[in-house]
Amino acid sequence: MRKPLAALVTAVLCLGGAAACADNGSTPSTSSSGGAAAGGDLVIVRPQDSVSMDNTMVFSNSSIWVFQQMFESLYEVTPDGKDVKPLLAESHTLSADKLTWTFKLKQGVKFSNGAPMTSADVKFSLDKARATKGGWEFLDVAIKSVEAPDDATVVIKTKYPWSPLLADLANFNNAVLPKDYAGKSHDDFYKAPIGTGPFVWDHWNKGTEIELKKNPTYWDAGKPALDSVTWKVVPDDNSRNVQIQGGQAQINENPPFSTLEQLKGQPNVKVDLFPSTKTDYVMMNQNEKPYDDVHVRRAISYAIDREALVKTLLFGNGTPANSFLMPNVPFYDAATPGLTYDMAKAKEEMAKSSVPNGFSTTFLASSGDSTDQALAQVLQSSLKELGIDMKIQNVDPSAAHDLQQEQKYQISHSYWTMDIADPDELVTFAVDPSAGSHSFYTSYDNPQVIADTKKAQQTFDTAGRQELYSAIQKQAADDAFMGFLYYSPFSYAYSTKVSGFQVYPTGNYHLEDVTLGS
Amino acid sequence: MRHLAYVGRRLVSTIPVLLGISVIVFFMIHLVPGDPARTLLGVRATDEAVAALHAKFGLDRPIWEQYLSFLGRLLHGDLGRSILYDTDVSSLLALRLPATLWLLVAATVMALLISIPLAVLAATHRDKLADQVVRAVPLVGLGMPTFWVGIMLVLLLALKVHAFPVSGFGKTPAQHLSSIILPGLTIALALTPILIRSLRTSMIGVLDSDYVVTARAKGLSHRRVITAHTLRNAAVSSITVLGVNIAYLVGSTLVVERVFALPGMGTMMLDAIFNRDFPVVQGVTLVFALMVVAVNLLTDLAHAALDPRIELA
Repeated sequence: MRKPLAALVTAVLCLGGAAACADNGSTPSTSSSGGAAAGGDLVIVRPQDSVSMDNTMVFSNSSIWVFQQMFESLYEVTPDGKDVKPLLAESHTLSADKLTWTFKLKQGVKFSNGAPMTSADVKFSLDKARATKGGWEFLDVAIKSVEAPDDATVVIKTKYPWSPLLADLANFNNAVLPKDYAGKSHDDFYKAPIGTGPFVWDHWNKGTEIELKKNPTYWDAGKPALDSVTWKVVPDDNSRNVQIQGGQAQINENPPFSTLEQLKGQPNVKVDLFPSTKTDYVMMNQNEKPYDDVHVRRAISYAIDREALVKTLLFGNGTPANSFLMPNVPFYDAATPGLTYDMAKAKEEMAKSSVPNGFSTTFLASSGDSTDQALAQVLQSSLKELGIDMKIQNVDPSAAHDLQQEQKYQISHSYWTMDIADPDELVTFAVDPSAGSHSFYTSYDNPQVIADTKKAQQTFDTAGRQELYSAIQKQAADDAFMGFLYYSPFSYAYSTKVSGFQVYPTGNYHLEDVTLGS
Repeated sequence: MRHLAYVGRRLVSTIPVLLGISVIVFFMIHLVPGDPARTLLGVRATDEAVAALHAKFGLDRPIWEQYLSFLGRLLHGDLGRSILYDTDVSSLLALRLPATLWLLVAATVMALLISIPLAVLAATHRDKLADQVVRAVPLVGLGMPTFWVGIMLVLLLALKVHAFPVSGFGKTPAQHLSSIILPGLTIALALTPILIRSLRTSMIGVLDSDYVVTARAKGLSHRRVITAHTLRNAAVSSITVLGVNIAYLVGSTLVVERVFALPGMGTMMLDAIFNRDFPVVQGVTLVFALMVVAVNLLTDLAHAALDPRIELA
């Protein structure tokens, strides 16, 4: 077991508002620089722990948000979530045939072990990221080869013109790791990872806390301000809230919407709703009758009172969805004629369907998930008007997850958040049944939409892509392959001592910009 | 050391108990639907990735075979590997056991510190006002749910008066101590009503007995009569009550650990169940079972220490 530094212990003790230093209420910095804007140990409390630090394989947000403080990619998402800008790359050129991309690397970047970052590291990292199975390699399928002609240059060839490449390279799975895992095995490397980022690995007590320390040799001079960041697992909503009030923690990750009003009333606590890419859906399994009938799907989609859901589930903190894409991704079309709540139209569609007199069905819900429970009940009463007798099957979250993926359900609920600044990640997953997920586990299969998706991947001019993605969104809404519910923001509550904390629509945040006042 | 052989026999007799528990736990958790591999790998999991993880943790083998290999490893002191964290269950337990043990010890000590003086007060002022109050007030505590008592204590003693940390466990023993007082008190408050009642009743019984009358008659001080003669004899039955209740409380640490964000075994158990982390569920259950067995054993030993007439066999 690791023994933390005595200095840190003192700092955390004082931060924790423990009896010893609660009276002065200050957070004495252990760094020599002093002052309000430098130093400090940030504590983030969250409902669940990270799963793994393997950036090429892991899908859990609670893991991603941690290792993004250590790993950096050639590009990064801009704060509005709609574009990318160079990070470890300096610039790029694209050949006339749009198949060869040449990147110049930023100079003077070092890994936290002191080794300089070169093109060999980039090649190693991209090759590893491409070779995973069941990880994020689907983002890199268009890459044919990665070459490192000299230390500062990387050449990427694609199999076909591939316009989302920069957005894909900005994703964390393509982050630059030291070549050959700095001499370690894959497993050992990810137990104590090394990157070029503003923070470096300290320790992980699994199920309890992860701590990262400041990278003193970070290439962006003067950053980060914080001495350390600790993510602590505090499963109980109320306990996380009181830890912010008690000064033991500074940032509360995603407090439930139901608690926001109460939190806003607390002194020294700030509540922020960051625009997100989170979209919730009603999934309908087309392998199960009568969901193969577009009229049935449309009828159900028309019967969902989205305004009511936003009010009851999000406490007003959200907007009804009109497209399966979200407003904070590029090429979202606000004019997409998504189906809105309209019982008259719902009844018309039912009359046209194969089951005009209704049918009985079962909604698969996760027990203990307040969204699922409320959604199921709202839906149940609406569908009764259409003659649909909907039962609610409650199984626990793990089992519900399995049943969805194995498509052993009729109607259910799911959501999505984007990781890259290009709609292709979600569009391919959601509408192309061959992409591994059977079109978001619905078996939706429209050849026109699939063809447009492939074409959009290879189109480089913005207007052309917009036209294709608008067509895809319109057709998908028309086919009602899912009921698009609402867009909701990322909620965060944090101490007023924290400044510079911003969450991007892709969910990530940059802790090198955060300072902790006294 | 006259009890050493007895302790040895008791420990041996726990083996079939633990074996029985392991069978029940193993098959119950496997009966619940849900696949740890799919939970872990998330929404994009391919069938190959799921199959690879199944193979890595032996989840693709028949269930009886999985049980036998679990037993085989157990005999070598190996509790297996957590599927969720890819870490040895024993090292996870080592991280989590301290908080739970601190909590149980703190709760027991505080329960005794509160109960004994109050029970003595009630027994020696039988049917007077003090007795009535001592008997009535703790009942209110019995009626309040544990998690609510915990939240109230936090609001009052941590947020209003900054006497204790809101929650968490700290890093040093001193921090552990200040962190454990409120959760310990929460459990203690649930324990005291039963303890006070049982101790009071048995003390009253002892106070009426001949040897107490004799003790008083030969001129012993009131204090000595109470501590040496009454309390010691009355304690025997109360210790049984305490033992039974601590064993029961091992299970309720789950709620208290959650409210106070203590990194203990209760929270680990809950996470493991939700994620179908079979090896961790099995490991934690075995440790909880061992704790219950240990508390029962300590209860018997305490009986023997207090009452020389009790023969341990």
